[in-house]
Amino acid sequence: MFGKVLIANRGEIAVRVARTCRVMGLPTVAVYSEADRGALHTREADEAVLIGPAEAARSYLDVEALLAAARRTGADAVHPGYGFLSQSGDFAEAVGRAGLTFIGPPAAVHRKMGDKQAARRLMAAAGVPVVPGYDGDEQVDGTLLAAAGAIGWPVILKPSRGGGGKGMRVVRRAEDFASALAASRREARAAFGDDRMVLERYVEKPRHVEVQVLGDADGHLVHLNERECSIQRRHQKVVEETPSPALTAERRAALCAAGVAAARAADYVNAGTVEFLLAPDGAFYFLEVNTRLQVEHPVTEAVTGLDLVRLQIQIAAGDPLPFGQEGVRAQGHALECRLYAEDPDHDDRPAPGRILHHAAPEGPGIRFDSGVATGSDVTVHYDPLLAKLVARGGDRDEAVQRMRAALRRTVVLGVTTNLARLQAIVDHPAFAAGDLHTGFIEEHLAGRATAADPPPEAVAAARAAVRLSRAAGGSAEIAADPWESLGPWRLA
Amino acid sequence: MGEPGPVAAGVSVEMVAAGVFVWREGDRVETFHCVRDGGIIHLFWRGTAYRIEEDEARARAAHRSVSGALEAPMPGRVIAVRVARGQSVTKGQELLVVEAMKMENALRAPRDGVVRSVAARPGDMVSPGLVLVELE
Repeated sequence: MFGKVLIANRGEIAVRVARTCRVMGLPTVAVYSEADRGALHTREADEAVLIGPAEAARSYLDVEALLAAARRTGADAVHPGYGFLSQSGDFAEAVGRAGLTFIGPPAAVHRKMGDKQAARRLMAAAGVPVVPGYDGDEQVDGTLLAAAGAIGWPVILKPSRGGGGKGMRVVRRAEDFASALAASRREARAAFGDDRMVLERYVEKPRHVEVQVLGDADGHLVHLNERECSIQRRHQKVVEETPSPALTAERRAALCAAGVAAARAADYVNAGTVEFLLAPDGAFYFLEVNTRLQVEHPVTEAVTGLDLVRLQIQIAAGDPLPFGQEGVRAQGHALECRLYAEDPDHDDRPAPGRILHHAAPEGPGIRFDSGVATGSDVTVHYDPLLAKLVARGGDRDEAVQRMRAALRRTVVLGVTTNLARLQAIVDHPAFAAGDLHTGFIEEHLAGRATAADPPPEAVAAARAAVRLSRAAGGSAEIAADPWESLGPWRLA
Repeated sequence: MGEPGPVAAGVSVEMVAAGVFVWREGDRVETFHCVRDGGIIHLFWRGTAYRIEEDEARARAAHRSVSGALEAPMPGRVIAVRVARGQSVTKGQELLVVEAMKMENALRAPRDGVVRSVAARPGDMVSPGLVLVELE
């Protein structure tokens, strides 16, 4: 086993990794930028090293700075968390070259899965379902129309080179194909100087499901079932759960088998996630492999009783998987809500600020992984994720009930958060029914303001609280409070 | 921490830790969270975070006039009713007085008008949001 682990990350995931290391008796090194001085993750580790300025490119993404911190502290292993350098083959390789162990898949796996087109072709060859499509060089109208017919309607036209939705068109009938193709080509030519097209089956109201896999250095592979992450905003997950309410036992078995097949094709080692699109008809299609620990891994831990970070460390240390597929048992249901410092009423824009007061929810089946504490600064430099609230129940209804209650006791004051949006999602009848898709928020909650005026009773409470704080705190700033001496109230 | 403070007849608020308070109303107790930052009060009340400007809080705690309906601003006891149904009033005229937090609060007419109804008598306990006087 390792002597000391450097955690090359920040926020809640750095805190979460440090906690498992502590349980395992492994000393930890936190790293921080100038913007993260005194941050919670630096207090949860045994040592903390300043690695650079606020700008991520010169701190959390600076390979040399991270390796220097490891050398200085004598760390012999590096956990990358998620985001930042977690999926970088170059970083994994540099860590190895420096004589340290990277706690994650080898560089080759990162590289193979990082090329999306190559990954798709590899998966198709391995028999993993991919979205039916056409990406051939032959581009005459008749060939494309025939390809569309073979794929099945509706299809989506996408410029081969491009992005941002430009030139993309959904075509539902053969009769409309010629005019849509002409329009897409015109737009693609204007935007990208290239009018070659790719065709794909268009999946309407898709769900996002993913399979957690684990592999050891000896080639043993298991899956830890699926997670559903359909509740998203701007392609980022907001609420996740396991098991998916959309799958029958038969479809679940097929999905998880496909996940293991994908991992085998990638020669996967350590923890990873195979993402799929799930169509309303039950068909699923490979999207990509995330070669790291996922943000939403705690829902899997909640139902399996496993510690994924511990398993990652054991696998990286060369230990064999301590169980086979039959040793994986999932019980109950778990949900996760991501608490972001962002404003749902203004395009989810990040809401930096200082956390003036923070209280974690507690209760049966509740886990709260937070990267912040009272006094923490939420800066513009990094992802606005503050904390993850996980609720486990014997079944989905109980997990939803526990989540609802816990969301009403999750206190973050000082910065604007998406708490009210999370409450609106979990309270929605369509959510209770498990009727999810990736456009859920747009369909059910778009344009619905989450900020409300306080009821008069709340204002009275606030006034009394401020008065009491003044009495107890006696700070000069508050004692000079004009609010107390003005107003419509007068002494009787 | 902190002595319980009266908020209104039958209601008191107690500070139990920094930023954490208990609202007591008879046997009903409720925990809430509140911190102040300059001119902004941050409040967590019944599952919802609010940001209240102090000016706004002051305005809200004063009488609220929505389409001629005057509501009780906070829990309290009516100690005087100065007008009756059908009476003409002028803007700023004192309509009734509510006692809360050991203080008197006069509810004044937000505009000229005729009193359509009076739903309070001296001695009545009133709750926030309850319409006390309506103007035509």
